[in-house]
Amino acid sequence: MSYSKLISLAEAVRRHTRDGQQYASGAALPVGSDAVVFGRELLRQGRRDLHAIFHCSTQQLNLLAAAGAVARVECGFSGLEVFGFANGLRRAVEEGRTVLEDYSNLSMALRLLGGAMNWPFVPATVNIGSDLQYRSAFAPDEHPARHKIPAVADPFSGREIGALSPLRPALAGIHVSLADPLGNAIMLGTEWSRFELSRAAQKVILVADAIVDTACMRQFPNLVRIPDVVVEAVVWWPFGAWPQASPGLYDADEEHMKSMNQALATEEGTAAYLKRFVEGYSDVPSYLDLIGRDRVRQLAQTSTAFLIDPFRRWLQTPAEITALSASCSPAGEVYR
Amino acid sequence: MIAEYTRQEMMAIATGREIRDGELAIFGVGLSMLAGFFAQAHHAPRVRAMTEGGIYGATPLGGLPWGIECNRISSNATSFTSALDALGCLVASGRCDVGIIGAAQVDRFGNVNTTGIWVGGIGDAYRPPNTRLTGAGGANDIACGAKRFLIMVGHEPKRFVEKVSYISSPGYLDGDDARQRHGFVGGGPSAIITTLGILRPHPETKEFHLDGWFGFSSPDQIRHATAWDLKVLPGARPVPEPSKAELAALRKVDVTGALRKG
Repeated sequence: MSYSKLISLAEAVRRHTRDGQQYASGAALPVGSDAVVFGRELLRQGRRDLHAIFHCSTQQLNLLAAAGAVARVECGFSGLEVFGFANGLRRAVEEGRTVLEDYSNLSMALRLLGGAMNWPFVPATVNIGSDLQYRSAFAPDEHPARHKIPAVADPFSGREIGALSPLRPALAGIHVSLADPLGNAIMLGTEWSRFELSRAAQKVILVADAIVDTACMRQFPNLVRIPDVVVEAVVWWPFGAWPQASPGLYDADEEHMKSMNQALATEEGTAAYLKRFVEGYSDVPSYLDLIGRDRVRQLAQTSTAFLIDPFRRWLQTPAEITALSASCSPAGEVYR
Repeated sequence: MIAEYTRQEMMAIATGREIRDGELAIFGVGLSMLAGFFAQAHHAPRVRAMTEGGIYGATPLGGLPWGIECNRISSNATSFTSALDALGCLVASGRCDVGIIGAAQVDRFGNVNTTGIWVGGIGDAYRPPNTRLTGAGGANDIACGAKRFLIMVGHEPKRFVEKVSYISSPGYLDGDDARQRHGFVGGGPSAIITTLGILRPHPETKEFHLDGWFGFSSPDQIRHATAWDLKVLPGARPVPEPSKAELAALRKVDVTGALRKG
């Protein structure tokens, strides 16, 4: 007998987040499948002073930093790819409100792997010899930095390599395409580092665009790269990565990607954005209204839509999801 | 008659010409992807292309992808994996033949800065940059691990500096055999392809020299746009202009005209 882990987004944030927490997300790249709506809820509940672990910057980190909620961040890429610099994050870093520690994209994945494996350190053949190794924003007075990627000897060859520190974030908000109520998840598109993050984090909350019956997972167990045993809670939130893309379900909202980033470039713009797009909805239907129902339909006309075809017969309706929600009773509904 | 083309298109074609058929190649965001998929469409049909997101077997659909994970590069893939796989198993391992990276600043030894601009240098103690850029991303991993890599960058004096203020991705560090100190499996940058010409490293000193200029540029113009005393390689010559077939192949990839705008 298993229990549903479906809870509301508000409850997930209320129950599992706190000020100053090491919070990991952004594990699916700046234009892709990130739990952006989880970041909106962190701001709705006034969380601050976060230590963000973002493999890559996303609109979520951009927004959190612009709103002044991020004290420290560790990441591998801090831009928005073709959408340009992440203006909110950039402003926070340049003004010294957010301290950003730089790594590379591989080293962030390796550090998550190290945390997942409980390794004391991860040998690095990248990042060494560059300022990623020699400069530390967290230890500004050390030059060259001694504690960021310290040099160690390969015990076999004697060659000098780097030691990457493992990451064990207190909480991870991970966006997935499909989850069942137990917390089994399927990710369409690149997994980026969501597999490692799901094992490295001390607590994992899934934000799923769609909920499927567990029979779906039994049909495609090889695709279930995040099994329920590592998951604390499941949140259903369609278009949870908006304005970013979720392969198989919706494209990036180019117009909002640009207007959001433009707004976050200034304090006034950020305030206006928060009022409209963070405080301006109360539930899933009003969130979709805020995006615009026409826009929602248009974004769902993605050339990747065929990726979801094999799973369609198991998709749950909003009414079914509500009935399965663990929020109905403290112990959770009995599910299958 | 030679068709009209932009500097950006010339840079993309010159970069694409460096990619050989059958190579295992990793393409990054924006220009890099256009140059790589141009090569595949034109002269390297069997190039084994991937992005650092671990997206294999895909070609862009519907225009320049907004990112290496964008739906525009996810609608005809044969495999989706992860950063650990693409950047680790295939690049840091030394398996990848060639990568293409961009730069905000590049110096005489091909070191790349994409992290930040510090007016007057960082100084001894680290301080926040005056202008924060995008960070290293996967470029550091490609610079350390790919057998060779290409740097694509607009040719302006502020970008071509004597010494970058922050090395995000290592070129030849301070020259000669400096890379060997770190045992990198990758060989380093084989060319810097710019909006004005092509620079290549001197075989011994590893200092970048001028190797080619475009139909619309000249060695003098390139030297003026370069902050170090740019020397010329023996055999340096004009780079052939894009052929009709090359332009057609590039524009087929760049359907939204990203390279024709600037």
